[in-house]
Parts: sequence; C-alpha cells; structure tokens
Amino acid sequence: MITITINNKEIRLERPVTVLEAAKANGIKIPHFCHHGILEQWGGCRMCLVEVEKMPRLQTACTLFVTDGMVVMTESETISNARRSVLEFILINHPLDCPVCDKAGECKLQDYVMQYGPTAGRFKEPKIRHPEGLNDPLIVRNQERCIMCTRCVRMCSGIQGASAIAVTNRGNHSSMEPFSGERFDCEYCGNCLTVCPVGAIMSRLHRYSYRSWQVTDEIQTVCPFCGVGCTMIAQVRDNALMRVVPKLGLGSNKGLLCNRGRFGYEYVGSGERLKNPLIKKNGKLQPASWEEALDTVASRLKDIKNSSGGNAIAGIAGARCTNEDNYAFQKLIRGLGSNNIDSIARMGFAGGQRIFEGMLGPGVTSTPLSGIADSDAVLVVGGDPSEVNPVLGVHIRMAFKKGAKVITIGHAPGLGRHRTAGLLPHPQADGVVMGGLISAILKDKKSLPGGNRPLEEKITVMHLPSADDAAAACKLSAEDIGRLAKQLAGASSVSIVVGREAGGNKDTAMLVSVLSYILNARIYLMSERPNEQGLVDMGCLPDMLPGGRPLAEEGLRKKCGASWGIDIPADEGLTLMEMIQAASSGGIKAMYVMGENPAFNLPDTKNTEEALRRLDFLVVQDIFMTETARMADVVLPALSWIEKDGTYTNAERKIQRLKKAISITGMEDWKIVAEVGKRIGLKMPYGKAADIMKEIARVSPLHAGLTYADIEGGDNLWPYKGEPHKNWFSFPELSADAFTSPAEEGLCLMLEKPLFHSGTLSRKSPALNSISPEAVLRLSPATASGLNLKDGDFAKVSTEKGSLSLKVKIDRGIDGPAAFVSNNFEGRGLFSLTGYRLDPVTKSPLTEGRQISIEKE
Amino acid sequence: MNYLLKNIENPNSFDVREYEKAGGYRSLKKAVEMEPAAIIAEVKKSGLRGRGGAGFPTGMKWTFANADPKFPKYLICNADEGEPGTFKDRPILEKNPHLLIEGMVISGHALRAEYGYIYLRGEYPDARDILNRAIKQAYEKGYLGDNVMGKGLKFHLTVHLGAGAYICGEETALIESLEGKRGQPRIKPPFPVNVGAFSMPTIVNNVETFSNIPCIMEIGPEAYSKIGSPDCPGPKLYCISGHVEKPGVYELPMGTTLREIIYTHCGGIKGGKSLKAVIPGGISTPVLPPSNIDCPMDFVSMPKHGSMLGSGAVMVFDETVCLVKVCLRALKFFEHESCGKCTPCREGTGWLRSILSRIEDGKGEKEDIDTLLDVSGNIVGKTFCPLGDGAGSVVINFIKHFRPEFEEHIEKKGCKYKK
Ligand SMILES: Cc1cc2nc3c(=O)[nH]c(=O)nc-3n(C[C@H](O)[C@H](O)[C@H](O)COP(=O)(O)O)c2cc1C
Ligand code: SF4
Ligand code: SF4
Ligand code: SF4
Ligand code: SF4
Ligand code: FES
Repeated sequence: MITITINNKEIRLERPVTVLEAAKANGIKIPHFCHHGILEQWGGCRMCLVEVEKMPRLQTACTLFVTDGMVVMTESETISNARRSVLEFILINHPLDCPVCDKAGECKLQDYVMQYGPTAGRFKEPKIRHPEGLNDPLIVRNQERCIMCTRCVRMCSGIQGASAIAVTNRGNHSSMEPFSGERFDCEYCGNCLTVCPVGAIMSRLHRYSYRSWQVTDEIQTVCPFCGVGCTMIAQVRDNALMRVVPKLGLGSNKGLLCNRGRFGYEYVGSGERLKNPLIKKNGKLQPASWEEALDTVASRLKDIKNSSGGNAIAGIAGARCTNEDNYAFQKLIRGLGSNNIDSIARMGFAGGQRIFEGMLGPGVTSTPLSGIADSDAVLVVGGDPSEVNPVLGVHIRMAFKKGAKVITIGHAPGLGRHRTAGLLPHPQADGVVMGGLISAILKDKKSLPGGNRPLEEKITVMHLPSADDAAAACKLSAEDIGRLAKQLAGASSVSIVVGREAGGNKDTAMLVSVLSYILNARIYLMSERPNEQGLVDMGCLPDMLPGGRPLAEEGLRKKCGASWGIDIPADEGLTLMEMIQAASSGGIKAMYVMGENPAFNLPDTKNTEEALRRLDFLVVQDIFMTETARMADVVLPALSWIEKDGTYTNAERKIQRLKKAISITGMEDWKIVAEVGKRIGLKMPYGKAADIMKEIARVSPLHAGLTYADIEGGDNLWPYKGEPHKNWFSFPELSADAFTSPAEEGLCLMLEKPLFHSGTLSRKSPALNSISPEAVLRLSPATASGLNLKDGDFAKVSTEKGSLSLKVKIDRGIDGPAAFVSNNFEGRGLFSLTGYRLDPVTKSPLTEGRQISIEKE
Repeated sequence: MNYLLKNIENPNSFDVREYEKAGGYRSLKKAVEMEPAAIIAEVKKSGLRGRGGAGFPTGMKWTFANADPKFPKYLICNADEGEPGTFKDRPILEKNPHLLIEGMVISGHALRAEYGYIYLRGEYPDARDILNRAIKQAYEKGYLGDNVMGKGLKFHLTVHLGAGAYICGEETALIESLEGKRGQPRIKPPFPVNVGAFSMPTIVNNVETFSNIPCIMEIGPEAYSKIGSPDCPGPKLYCISGHVEKPGVYELPMGTTLREIIYTHCGGIKGGKSLKAVIPGGISTPVLPPSNIDCPMDFVSMPKHGSMLGSGAVMVFDETVCLVKVCLRALKFFEHESCGKCTPCREGTGWLRSILSRIEDGKGEKEDIDTLLDVSGNIVGKTFCPLGDGAGSVVINFIKHFRPEFEEHIEKKGCKYKK
C-alpha cells in the first residue's frame, strides 16, 4: 500500500501509478496535452507540471510515479505561472484561427488558455507558417495548429500499428508528416484524429459544417459495418448525423475505430436512398403506395404458398439487419410454411461455428476481444483480420508488440509487420498444414489434455499427417512447421483467429477445433457483417429455431410454433446456395430478400442472377437499389442503422444496442415484415423494437428474460440470462482428401476483402470511395513482373466463368502466386469469375484457389 | 606526465604497434586476470567522474549496471562530441584510438558486456576511418573478438556514425538513434543502466572517461586519486579556443585554474589584448567575467564560481568581441539543435534567438531585456532534458554579467563592434 498526499488530500494506492493517474482516480484534474490513457508515456508538453515536496524542480505528473509518502500540489501560483508559460510558448507559433477551426469548442488548447491565460501575447516576431495540407481526401492536416504532442504518432505506430506518420525535421520546424508526403500505408482508421488535442488533424467529412457545441444529441450506438461491433457515438444536429466518434474506454473497441466505422457513415444521407415502395409494372419498377406494395407482397406470397406449398418460398435474411428484424423475418417465412431461411452467414461463419460448438461445446466463440492482446500466441487462419475485422486486427498487433508469437496460415498482408511467422500453403491446403502442426504439437505435448473424451477418441483415429509429410505435401519446410508447433505448444495463452474461408471448410474448421482443444486456445471467429451472429441466434437458419434450438427436436419445434400460433414444418429447409439452385430448377418460386444483395454477393454471379430471374416473385427490402433490387417484383424501402432501434450480436456474441439517432419517414425492416405478416394472418403485434425483444425473450431459451435494460446495463454476454442447448456433441467425418494439397500450380484467384469497403453498402459512402474508388487486380511484385505488368496497367482476368478487365495494383504485402480481386464494386466483382463447390457439411460455397489466366490489355 | 595524450607526438601513434611499444594494452593484460567486481571496485576507489559533462561518478554508474541481473549488457562510448567549443575527445579518437579501445575492453570485462558501440560524431569522418582501422588491428591482435587475450572473454566493438544532431550526445537520445529511431531523449527513470539499448542494461561513458580506465589499472586507484582535485581526481583534457596565443587541447590535472590554463599554458590573450569573458565548459555553461577566472576547473569547484566544468571546453573572448552576438550565436545553435520534444525548449529557443537577433540588429526595445530574462526563466527548470536548461541559462548569465552591453545595443540602436 502506498500513501501519498495530493493537495492535502491523503490518497492510498494499491500499486505505483503516475501522479497524474493517481490524481485522476481521485477526481483531481491535472491539465495535460501529450499524456493519453492508452498511449505510451511521452512527457514532452510540460503542461502537467506539479510541485512535489523535496524535489527541487517542478515535475511532470504524467511521468512521475508515486512513491510512499510523496506530497504533491497540483495547483499553486508557481504551477499556474509555469502552465501559463507553456501555453504562451505553444501560442507563439499557433495561428490563433479559432474562428475557423473545426476543433473550437472541444480543443484542449482553447480550454487551458481560458483557464490559465495568457490573455495577451508578448511575441512580436513573425510566426512560423505551415500551409494546411489539403491533398488528402479524408484527413486535413494543419501543422500550424500542431502542438507537437506526438499523440498521433504514438497512436499510429504504438496502437494502430500502421506507422504511417512520423515527426519530420527538428525543433520548431518539426511537423507531423505521412512518410511519403502523401498517403503511404495509412489505413485511414482516423485514430490519430481522435487523440489530437487540437485542430491539427481533422476529418474532412464535416469540415466547416457545424461547431461542436451545436450538436444537439449524442447517441451511443454500434458500428454498422462489421462483426467487431465497435461502440460509437453518433453526433446529431437538428436530426442530421454530423459525425460518429468513438469514446475512450467504451466498448470492446475501447475507443478505437477503423476507417469504415469512422468515415463510412455518409451513406445514410445519400440521395440514392430508396424512399418509396416500388412495384414492377410492365417490366419496370414504378412507385407505389405502401398499402399497395404490402398487399401485393402478402397476396402473391399467399398465392404461391397455396399453389406450390410453403416449400416453394424462401427467405434471405439480412446480416446488417437487427436481431429484431431477423427474428420477425424468420417468423414470417416459417409462418408461410417454409424453413427455407438462410443468409450470408452461410458463407463460412455459421458453418464454422456449428463445427466448433459441435466439437468443443456451445459458446466456444464467445470470447472477449481483450483476450487477444493478452495472449502469448495468436494463430490466424483463413483470412486477414486487419482487413476483415480491423479493430480485431489491431488487438493482434498489440499482442505482437507485447511480445506474443503471431503466426499466420494463408494470406494476411495486414499482419505483415506484426507476425513472427507466416505459412503460405496452397489456399486449399490449409488442412495439411494444420494436420502437420497438430501432429507436431501432440508430439511435443506427449499426451492429449483429457477432458473431452469423445473428441479425443476421434482425434486418435484422424490419421494426421506427420509434420514431415505435411511439409512435403504442401512444399513448406518441416522445420518451420516444427518451430511453429513448438511456439504454440509452449504458449500458455493462445488465441486462434479464424476467417470465413476456414470456417466454411469443414475439414479446416474441424482441425481448428482440434488445435484449439489441444492448446486450450480461445477461438475468435471473424465476422464480416455486423450481425452474422444475430442471424444464427435468431433462427435465420434452415435447421435451427431462435436460441440455437434444432428444428429436428419435435418438442422444441412444437413449443415454438405454438407460441407463434403456427405449425412449423418439420423438414429442414434449404441453405443459401441450395435455394439459388432450387430457384434455378424451379423448386423455389418466391423469394423474400431482406437487406441482402445475393445477385452480387454470392459466387457464380451469372448463374445466381439467372436463378433469381426465374423466380415467379422476388421481393427485395433494402435501403438502396441494389443489383438484386433491380430484378425484384416489389421493392420495399427500409430504414438504415442510425434510424432505428434494436440490437446486434457481435463476433464475441455480445448483444449490443443500436439506437435511433435520426427520425425520417419510413419503416424499419421489422415493421415492414410485421405488416406483411399481419396480412397473411400472423400475430405480429409490434409497436416498437422492444416489443420484439420481449417476444424473443419469451421464445428463445438462450435469451430468456433478456431486456434492453439488461443489455444496456452490461448483462449482454453469452449466454445472456438464458440456457444454451445441451446435446451438442457432433463430429463430422473428415473428407478423404482433407490432408492433400492440390497438385495444380500457378496463379490462384483470391478474394480480396478490402479494408476500405464492406459489402456493397460502402459503395454509397463518398469518403470510402474517395480512398478506394475502383476494383483492382492486386498482384505481388514478382507475379506482376512475371506477367510483364506494371502498376496502373490494365489486365484481363479470365476463368472458365468469364473475364474482367481490371487495373493492376502492385501490392508488396502479397506473397506467392495469388491474384486478389475484391467483390465490392458494381460489375467488377470476383464472384462473377468463380464457380463454387458446396462443402458437404457446412454447405458453404467454397470458391478460392481457382486457376485463372491474366493477360495484359 | 601525460596519460591520455601519451605518445601523441609520434606521427604513427594510432598504430597498434606504436601503442604497444609505448606500453599499451598492458593494463588490459592485467585486467583480464582480475575478477570483474575487483575492476569495478578499483574504478570506484579511483574517484573517476564521467568526462561527458555531468561528472557522474563512473564507479557508481558501473555498480548500478552491474547490479541489474539482465543480460546481455551493452557498452556505449559517447563520441558524439557536438557541443560547440568542444574538441577534447578528438585527439584520442584520431591519435590514440587504442587507448579508448583498451579502456572499453577492460570496461566490457568489468561489466560482463560482450558488445560495445562507439557512437561517433557524424562530422568526424577521419576519426571513423582511424577507429575502424584500429578496431581491425585489435581484432587481429586478439584484443577484441570471441577470445580476448586468449582468456575466453568475448568483446566486440562497432563504430556507429551519428547524423549530425547535437541532442544525440545526450545518452538516451543517443540510444534511440543507435536503435534506428528519431534522436530524442527518453523518459528517465528507467535509466540506461537498467533499460538502455535494445531495452537492456547499458553503460554510456564518454571517450575520455573510458580512456582513463587503462591509467587507473596501470598506476592503481590510490595513485590515480592523488592526481588533481581530491573530490574529482585524474588527468583532464581541456580544449581552449578563441583569443589566446596557443589554443589547443591540454592534458592537465583536474582542477587547474582557468587563469593558469589561459595565461600559463595557452600563453595569455592573443596580441596582448585584455580578456572580456570566458565560457569555461562548452557553450551551454554559464559565461564568466574576468573577475571569476581564479576558479579551479573541476566538477565541484566550478558551480561555486557561477558556472560548470561541462566538457572542459574553454572559449576565450577578448575586448573586441560583441557579447550580444556571442549570445545570439549560442541561441542560434540551441534553436537549431532543439529536438522539439518539449514545448519550452522547442518554442523558447527560437523566441530568444529572434529577440537577440533584433537587439543585435539595432531594433531592440527597452522591455526586450526583461522579456529575455522572463522567457529564459520560463525555460530553465521546465524542459525535458538539459539542452533547454542550457539555452535559458546562457541568456540569463550573459545578461547577468554584461547587461550594460545589451542596453547599449538597444539605446544606440546597433552594435558598436560591427566592422
Ligand atoms: C544535450 C546534451 C548533449 C550531450 N553531448 C554529449 C557528448 O557529445 N559527449 C558526451 O560524452 N556526453 C554528452 N552528453 C552527456 C551524456 O548524456 C552522458 O551524460 C555522458 O555521455 C555520460 O558519460 P560520462 O559519465 O562518461 O560523462 C550530453 C548531454 C546533453 C544533455
Ligand atoms: S489514419 Fe490511422 S493509419 Fe492513418 S495516419 Fe492516422 S492513425 Fe495512422
Ligand atoms: S497533429 Fe495533433 S496529435 Fe499530432 S502532434 Fe500535432 S497536435 Fe499532437
Ligand atoms: S472494426 Fe468493424 S465494427 Fe469496428 S469500426 Fe471497423 S467496421 Fe466498424
Ligand atoms: S530540452 Fe526538450 S526540446 Fe530541447 S532538446 Fe531536450 S527534449 Fe528536446
Ligand atoms: S502531459 Fe505531462 S508532459 Fe505532456
């Protein structure tokens, strides 16, 4: 126990912290610029000077650690004078252009000058000038206002791990610059902007549009882009969204955001938002009244049900829609007599999770993000977390900086500078490598952990390849595999981060489970959309009801049906790609798509489109006129994320509240669904989102009794207040070729998951488009030079499915013979080039690794 | 009797054979037979204080580093010699490099460090070549390498060239720079003896400090402690520049008075002119008027006479010199060399320089002197490292001793010394 005195107040501390922290914890404010709770110490600004007994000089409270008996004064005439002089020094070269500075009102410099002075300047010399940097599309750099606290640099290199900016030059000519003078390596997370205490780094999005004190409302909500589910504050003025900002310490993201979350919000105000319901008449979509549109949808669905049976109807739920929306949606589809309900979670997330839970127990992916940074080894398989789930990626980088071993299997360029080792087998040979790793780890550990008997029995008969055989099969070095195995086996706290490509492949997913079991590792399942977990938990699955209850269990099915007043059909429905296949063969005649864009987001685009075109009736409910909406018979405009209440469930399986910040005319997804439901005779008496949550809490045993108040009160972690399903053990058969590597050589076509985009939604965000305006073909320098291609050349990429002409981008982050194309830009998606094969268990479409040819144009 | 500049008249003094001929590497031979702790004890007993400027007791520093259980430990020789007026390390580096190498190998043995770096001032390209040649010779002779003197001791030495920043002479900025980072001082504690280069215990000593080690080994700590001032004994290199008859580097016992240095050794003021001011220990030490030159030049006595020993770089100014201009020149240096980490130094040095510039140009105003004093006062004691303190105290001391000269510039709107 340490006892100190600050301002004559006795303070007791458990452990030595800095004077500034000790003071803060006791409600004593010490002014500071360069100190920031999440950044490394700096001690440069000298604003936090305090007097300490027995110390001749003033001390910086942010760097001085308390010792027993220390006596500190944080305010006195000497201290005020010192602080005033620091402020005077800062102001001599500061432009004092507060009237036109967006930071005014929330600027620390302004605030402290108000508090300590000086009120008049003595500086008669010319100021050092530094023209504002306007060549960046998103970030305005004003180095005249910079006070050189280096918070931005410490954020960028110390936390974000991008190292995109640095101080250049020296002394009073120092300035904060991107390394290349433009935008090199910048990930546009904007986290530098959060920590800048003055108006030196600012967002261009809201430049000159309002003053900080004119914000009329600050609403805490969750990011609409990916499954990390970052907590953010929406700042609203007169019913318009001004900007979103993170809040230090809040949410799993602890005050960090990525570019999508921070700069992607403008889509809500896009002029392209759908406003009116549309009905296709004479082959053209035409505005209609809500009544007409809802009646049409209800009556056409009823007709098809009556003529062809409920099985002819299918629903695709929305991974950006809330739990409430999705719950209502699956109820509607089931109310129509169909279990054909699925979503984009099928593409790896749901299947992977099913396997992990089947082998390891329910809730295994319910792992708090903070665990990653505390791990001493992190294994990444099947995706690049820094691109898919950027803030999760930052946690891995932090673990690396703390000394953890970070090992990647497969492409993960975002971790290029933050890994201890990377293995790059053929994209279809993850299984062999992992088999070899498991053998080597088992050899090292000598025995299985004991505990999960059925699993251990299965492991012993898995015919795992030895590390040597695995290495030979996938042309890697056995030593590398052995070394990595040692590192993993030697770690005491391991995290495995799994991407959807690994989750969708049952063999890989099973091997991940085995690895996790023998290493006692936490599993983190990357989630590309904000509510994939919610889709699973709300029963938007052809074989599961809300709360993860199997449809096959009659008692549960009956009970659920009874509470809805319907008979839920006993037969499992079709999965996502099966629905498309059935539409193509005529088995499915009507499809209701909510907040999804299957015509673009599913592989084998041409055939998918073809299949959708063959439907008798297609309803699309969306906020934009997507590729799918264009083909619809009825289009229903919905409200966006910031315009509605509800909940999302993130990759950690944490339920979080979405809050309405803006009111516009229109209906939430759940409301539209309920209107349709009522018209077909379903009981959907929902006046507000909370009413649906009440029903979920009644129907889903996992969410039993859960309320918004619980969620907001922090009672939001799996399994909430409910019960996970028992009888969970299942162990699928490994494929015969699980441990082989494809013989084929040459370039593989890979799906780029761009950091700056998310699905097709981000197309409508001008800011994201400005930093990533077009689809490109990303090649490693070696591949590009082998093909005689330069940056900016155009190349034709062809597969048996078709071809695309794309601009070449040489990417030093890529290793090996891979060609990356994204699936985000209209008419330029990778999925137009790929067929797929369905995994027999997860039913995920597996697309990667196809052979391609590339020609210069 | 010269220890540090022994053999310096020999045109081939930098060659290992000449060095050996003059008795070189004999101390090392003695040291490798000793227990590391015994060497540290001898250094402690000798009373040697660091010659880099701060005068920190070397034995104490070594004891701290030795007490840290972490390995590997690193040894760094601070050869950044960037303080204006300072050129005392240069003759060792260029003429007697093996003395430094010998001192470092002994120190490495004492501290159980296997790697040493010489962080060399970027503007000393000749010294770089000479050092590298000497290191090569030392490797060949078995004074460096994996089996020093055939005793199974390991010590390797690398020269690292600075890039011209004065702040990189400050030990923690030096370490940052050595690690490939921007040269700016680190927060202390932790001190380099515990968390230094590559986060490992690191001993940073000046060239001259290391060069004193063979001497202590040779004559023994008792004899050594009898050289010069009792509180901080040993031979000392003083480098004298400016208006004296014979400027240069002199090896004299620590504590020789300024008067003796200027008038006895350097032959007095050039051309028989009169002395106007002396900066005794490099540009950041307070200027002294002629009335104060009877002070013994050592770490203990100088503060009592209103200045500091610093690096022992004596700059002598005669009656023809404009001291406002000297002060301005000093501040130009500090402004240019301020690393920019802390507010008072980054902004204050430029401000002081611009006011001084105006005064020197005849555009000074009456309140400027008070502003200078006030701004300097706002810097001193509030900066992150001593560079800023130095800048502020330079101005304060020039005004303290020569205020009328500043006032005259303002009243007469110009400088009467301008030619
Ligand atoms: C601004 C600044 C510049 C310095 N430059 C040097 C230098 O050039 N050479 C040097 O030996 N010490 C220099 N020092 C002192 C070092 O920080 C350190 O105290 C010294 O290298 C320790 O060695 P010693 O104990 O042998 O004196 C400087 C200190 C400061 C604050
Ligand atoms: S936006 Fe992010 S990556 Fe870019 S400079 Fe700022 S902190 Fe670094
Ligand atoms: S840009 Fe902002 S955060 Fe960065 S150093 Fe300047 S004031 Fe600090
Ligand atoms: S990491 Fe995901 S949830 Fe967080 S800000 Fe980025 S897109 Fe949004
Ligand atoms: S006093 Fe501050 S700005 Fe000046 S050199 Fe030292 S750390 Fe840098
Ligand atoms: S907050 Fe302590 S020095 Fe900047």
